[in-house]
Amino acid sequence: MSTHRATSGPPPAGMITALLEQTLDPAYAEAAQRRDTGPADHRWNARAVLAAVVVAGLILGVAYADTRAAAPSSERTRLALVADVQRETALGADLQQRLEELRAEVSLALDDALTATRDGRAQAERVSTLEYASGVLAVSGPGLRVTVSDAPPEETLDPVTGEPIDAVPEAGLVLDIDLQAVVNGLWAAGAEAIAVGGQRLSSTTSIRTAGEAILVDFRPVTSPYVVEAIGGEQLVSRFAGSDTAARYDAYRQLYGIGFDLVSADTLDLPAAADTDLRFAGPVAREQPGETK
Amino acid sequence: MIPAFALLIGVILGLVLDPTVPLWLQPYLPIAVVAALDAVFGGVRAWLDGLFDAKVFVVSFVSNVLVAALIVFLGDKLGVGGQLSTAVVVVLGIRIFGNAAAIRRHVFRA
Repeated sequence: MSTHRATSGPPPAGMITALLEQTLDPAYAEAAQRRDTGPADHRWNARAVLAAVVVAGLILGVAYADTRAAAPSSERTRLALVADVQRETALGADLQQRLEELRAEVSLALDDALTATRDGRAQAERVSTLEYASGVLAVSGPGLRVTVSDAPPEETLDPVTGEPIDAVPEAGLVLDIDLQAVVNGLWAAGAEAIAVGGQRLSSTTSIRTAGEAILVDFRPVTSPYVVEAIGGEQLVSRFAGSDTAARYDAYRQLYGIGFDLVSADTLDLPAAADTDLRFAGPVAREQPGETK
Repeated sequence: MIPAFALLIGVILGLVLDPTVPLWLQPYLPIAVVAALDAVFGGVRAWLDGLFDAKVFVVSFVSNVLVAALIVFLGDKLGVGGQLSTAVVVVLGIRIFGNAAAIRRHVFRA
């Protein structure tokens, strides 16, 4: 490489070329030339160079320290937020567990208080029946599992792009009214507790469509939809012989939707998610003279 | 060798003192770093070429840092600070690369 490129030849034509070719400041070459021809300039001695180099190092060091200080601060913020989220989540889980413990305690205390008297025992039985029926308590027992699912996708043309796609034909889609009909059929056949997609139904649970999803108690469920029902011995036969089952059997043959009945020896249904107390009234106290 | 120590002392001073960079100065710091690196590499290259000149080095260092800062300052005022910073970094980066390549050729003869 020529060390005197800047002085020996004409400077490169293009600006970009100059930038790429002439990486050394031409001033160095000019200064060297001046030194060769004229008297040396001693005002700029080594001390100035050292000072400049120290300043250059200072800039590098300060920039490094500054960047290092700035980067962790954003990282620290993120980590602090993550820690906050984890702590609050753990707190929520703790509180949920405490709630369950307290509920169990209340339930036990209620049983104790009520079983002390004969009237109380009747009341306790009634409370327990109501709790099972309203979905406050998790239940398990023999029952029926109904699986309803969308028809298998068929190859069709996308209405917008015109390209072939796999899509479920509209007539083969399971809608919220289908699940409602199955659930109502199960209630009518004598089901005591029902869960759709693992969500226990209470008296206020909704099954409805939002967009393309079906929400059970505001939580989405997807095809295949599993409807589990606990009931007496006749539940299976009564539901299998019901109008609802006959209708969906026909839909299965006509539109290809899935409709499958399986009786199960043991089904475990969870408690309903939120059972707020909405209505309460004073216990009708029987007159002392009217007892027995 | 002494300038290398001076550079090292500067870096250590910057790390040890860890001065708080005022907020208005922060945008210029990365550009100042690139400009300082350019001057340092240019000086080393000139020294290896036997062309080193103290005056040229000091003046080029000071003016490099100042001009780079001025460009960024003007760019900020005109609303093209980011683009001008990029331009400065590209130009100085090319020079740093070129000088580093020349230094490499001197040191390793390859």
